[in-house]
Amino acid sequence: MRSTISFVLDGKKLELDFKNSKGISSTSTVLNYLRSLPTHKGVKEGCAEGDCGACTIVLGELDGNDKIKYKAVNSCLVFLPMLHGKQLITVENLKTSDGKLHPVQQAMVDEYGSQCGYCTPGIIMSMFALYKNYSKPTREQIDDALAGNLCRCTGYRPIVDAALKSCAYNCRDHFTENEPHIVGMFKSISKESIHIQTDQQKYLQPASLGEAISLKHRFPEALIICGATDAALRVTKDHELLKEIIDLSSVTELKEVKGTDTALIIGASVSMNDVRSYIEKFFPALFEMLNVFASSQIRNVATLGGNLGTASPVGDTIPVLMAYNAKVILESLNGRREITLDNYITGYRKTVRKPDELITSIIIPKVLNGAIVKSYKVSKRKDLDISKVQSLEELQREICYSNSTLKLERR
Amino acid sequence: MNTILPHDSAVGHVTGEAVYIDDILVNNQLLIGKVVYSPHAHARIKSFDLSEVRKIPGVHAVMCYKDIPGHNQMGPVVNDEPVLAENEVTFVGQAVFLVAAETEEQCREAENLIKIEYEPLDAILDIKTAIAKSNLMGPPRKIERGSVGVALKSSKHVISGELKTGAQEHWYLETQASLCVPGEGNEINVFSSTQHPSETQALVAEVLGIKRNEVVVEVKRIGGGFGGKETQANHVACWAALLCNATKRPVKIRLFRDDDMIMTGKRHRFLTKYEVGFNDDGILQAVEFELNSDGGAATDLSFAILERAMLHTDNAYYVPNFFVEGRVWKTNLPSNTAMRGFGGPQGMVAIETVIDRIARYLKKDPTEIRRKNFYGIESRNTTHYEEVVENNRLHMIYEQIVKSSEYEKRRKEIDEFNKKNEFYKKGLALTPVKFGISFTTTFLNQAGALVNVYMDGTVLVNHGGTEMGQGLNTKIQQIAAVEFGINPDRVKVNATNTSKVPNTSATAASSGSDLNGMAVKNAIDTIKERILKELAAIWSPQQSTNPSISTEGGSQPDGWLAGASGGHQSILFKDSFIFDSDHPDRKISFTDAMKEMNLRQVSLSATGFYKTPTIGWDKNKGRGKPFFYYSFGMAVSEVLIDVLTGQHTLLRTDILQDVGDSINPGIDMGQVEGGFIQGVGWCTTEEIKWDTQGNLMTHSPDTYKIPTVQDIPKDFRVKLMESVPNLVGTIRRSKAIGEPPFMLSLSVWLAIKDAISAVGNHENEPEFSLPATNEVILMAIEKLKPSRSLRP
Repeated sequence: MRSTISFVLDGKKLELDFKNSKGISSTSTVLNYLRSLPTHKGVKEGCAEGDCGACTIVLGELDGNDKIKYKAVNSCLVFLPMLHGKQLITVENLKTSDGKLHPVQQAMVDEYGSQCGYCTPGIIMSMFALYKNYSKPTREQIDDALAGNLCRCTGYRPIVDAALKSCAYNCRDHFTENEPHIVGMFKSISKESIHIQTDQQKYLQPASLGEAISLKHRFPEALIICGATDAALRVTKDHELLKEIIDLSSVTELKEVKGTDTALIIGASVSMNDVRSYIEKFFPALFEMLNVFASSQIRNVATLGGNLGTASPVGDTIPVLMAYNAKVILESLNGRREITLDNYITGYRKTVRKPDELITSIIIPKVLNGAIVKSYKVSKRKDLDISKVQSLEELQREICYSNSTLKLERR
Repeated sequence: MNTILPHDSAVGHVTGEAVYIDDILVNNQLLIGKVVYSPHAHARIKSFDLSEVRKIPGVHAVMCYKDIPGHNQMGPVVNDEPVLAENEVTFVGQAVFLVAAETEEQCREAENLIKIEYEPLDAILDIKTAIAKSNLMGPPRKIERGSVGVALKSSKHVISGELKTGAQEHWYLETQASLCVPGEGNEINVFSSTQHPSETQALVAEVLGIKRNEVVVEVKRIGGGFGGKETQANHVACWAALLCNATKRPVKIRLFRDDDMIMTGKRHRFLTKYEVGFNDDGILQAVEFELNSDGGAATDLSFAILERAMLHTDNAYYVPNFFVEGRVWKTNLPSNTAMRGFGGPQGMVAIETVIDRIARYLKKDPTEIRRKNFYGIESRNTTHYEEVVENNRLHMIYEQIVKSSEYEKRRKEIDEFNKKNEFYKKGLALTPVKFGISFTTTFLNQAGALVNVYMDGTVLVNHGGTEMGQGLNTKIQQIAAVEFGINPDRVKVNATNTSKVPNTSATAASSGSDLNGMAVKNAIDTIKERILKELAAIWSPQQSTNPSISTEGGSQPDGWLAGASGGHQSILFKDSFIFDSDHPDRKISFTDAMKEMNLRQVSLSATGFYKTPTIGWDKNKGRGKPFFYYSFGMAVSEVLIDVLTGQHTLLRTDILQDVGDSINPGIDMGQVEGGFIQGVGWCTTEEIKWDTQGNLMTHSPDTYKIPTVQDIPKDFRVKLMESVPNLVGTIRRSKAIGEPPFMLSLSVWLAIKDAISAVGNHENEPEFSLPATNEVILMAIEKLKPSRSLRP
């Protein structure tokens, strides 16, 4: 157990000790931390609620194959301890050491992709993540990557052109060359659990499911965070002091996705973007909904567990999951129970979950042959908007179980 | 020598190195300023007590109106805006107290300890209530030509109606911000995100009770302005200056997004009534408009905005009998202010609605009605305020865009599509823009510059305009490089600073490069004249004739400027040399020449000045020539609407815009596309709502929706007209471009209306307003098909 966190910034491993850091707490956002440094003023606050993307940074984290996966996230919605074991990449890191602009930066200059420039660092970071994940992305993929970045000046066309022009080099750049070095740093960071305790706050980041469940038993009033895109607003907008937090981001058991003969089982802390990559074929209505769910930056951290945990009407997945007859698995030291979603939610942000229980996974049964589930979202703006109305239709023509196992295929 | 540059801050933008107010590194004496504002739309302040607040460690100042050393006044035109409320608050978000503390947490703690007692009073929160209560901001204004009453009576057809247009939040990405640093004695340095540094300077001086020569305002760049920082950036600067003055420490105020949206004014809402007379062909005979504008709680620029709206109710159309009357109503909302178009959009949308209605009434294509009513070239070419529409490019643009957009063909395809589809309908619309260029307050059409040339051959240009992303500094850099005949990398444009160029106008009204570009050229001409005189003495000491300057590719002096040169033009500034084209041996590098000039005691620094010629406007008579020239453009947009949900998709937009000879096509394209999309936001998803207590309900981006990348046309074809120099003498024959494209977005609004209208087979007039949110669209559709109503 440790009380400090380690992450990579500017190519170096950093250790943050919250006890000795003035002005920083365990619920400080990555945005505020970066802006407190004289060398990282590129990241901008546009709204402090994840709706504008000006604070976008990229997190590098180890995937299963010793490769680094790059994800754009809103730094205003990420608490500092969530950086543990990750690489924090900011706009200042994109130039090469000899001062050459990254291809996405050069294309933005050449295409007149910036005007006032205030949204630009965030757009550059979203485009950088796109660059690292796609070579020659389609227009749809570009739009998807940029829909979480508001620009009030350009009308976006030159930004799209810059993405089309620059994301064409097989994802290779100086980060590719430096990857083995960073992977080495990742491996030197211990995976043990983190308990940060100050006079005012307790921030617990368990490293296993067992530990998480026993912590929840000990601290039933603790706020569970599983992505924290909703909880962070209590800090950034309401300036609330969150006294007890259990952060599930390091619990690997909750990040698993399993397919069985009859259902898809999704760990509570699988990100929405990861969920989306599994479901297009078997759960198209959920897939469609996730396409218009917030923005890519938010989908990279938001989770199904979080959506169900808050039970906020803003959570776009809940009606779709109900239509699919999904079930929630709740676990505590007293055991495990399975409950259908319509019985789980009892009102506005109210559920039957007991204080000592954790949501561990969501089971989505295979759709019966002949049944059709369709989803519609009506919102003022297509992307990154709260639903006004959602409509879910389930039609069943005949009941007949299919025998094929859900085969996990990621896009 | 390529002088067309990328944006001069582009590398800074993409690397994060570009510095905005909040990024300026300040020493550890910096205090954070916070504005404590009214929670009431209208209330009397009964009492307040700040004593507890002063005890909090880390709090260095708490101020109320009594602590203001100078005038408690920051209205830009009329003195009706207190810096801090005295006995009464008149809108939610009005500043009452100021706090300076070492951290934001201490500021919040201080705010919570302030004791204040309000007695709520009745509030006026919309135009209709203001009208009912006769709560006028000032006297009505009118412009009249011909005899509308008679003409309406003799018109074959007359229709009338009412149109509501919504407010719009600027949503600059950088919220309002200012950093003040104390100097010696009264001196104060103000770093502000302001479009009007000279006014910021004046107001800071008045509020502090000091002289203007003791205040320096500097603007490096603005993270988006759009008019929102023309007057209202002054407020934040005044508040920060008060706290700085009180503590004698640097103080920074950066408004939190929600506070910025709650506290600052928006584009004016309008309620417009109209009556129009026309003949069987749809030719306009007479039109009468009554414009009602929601001014908010104070005057700000409301009357200038109303005036521009009134001057644009004709848009591109000749109407022989014209009457427009405008009123600004006072409400208990933040004072509404300048925003891109400055009333132009609210004026144009009125006549565009009229034309659209006439077409439906006569069962004709609106595009045909538009074309028939365009201003003529030789006749039918005077506006309702009797300015002649010169160099009219409407017909030229119309012919090109109807062809390039395949308007006729697509109109037929859309009619076919609509016949076949019940749940989806398509709509198409072409709309023109004729936008008048110049501040209508004529004296504001002036600019200054200060150009320094250094002995290494580099140039530092200061001008009165501010860089807010529009690329003004890039254009200025190009202008200076061409005029001096040197590479642009030797020209740097300085941060705008009131101690370098004084008494400037706001960077507004699309005028930035027209005015400042000319002032810079004027300064450079002065320096070149001095160099020329000296070189003439060196190269031909016995000759008495005065050779004059010339720059290949640069602007030749026009008309009123001709007196500055004339004569033969053998000495050129070109390719980083100065040489006599008649005597090839007479040649010197630009850098060597500058060293030589210094040795010969020639000043290499000069101021420049420009005022727009030939304009003049009598506000009271509603007659004159308010505009130096007009900017023209047209757009054709096609949309798809979902009849069951009211959602719309923008399928395609074609734009053709007249920018004269573009100084920088990349930058001008950015203004056209960006302005258009900002307009699309106003026309569709950007909806401002207040509750019944005057609280802004849409106070953050989770409820206020500006366009994202997915909201732009799926097929977006934008072109600048080529080989169309401005025929009046502007810098490099260019035209202003900041605002005109905004109003091209009316094509989207009317395409949506066209699609709605298709639900009822274009038989009936849909009920429509702006913005066309999905609710507005769905309600309009439901009213067109009563038999199919979803409601029981």
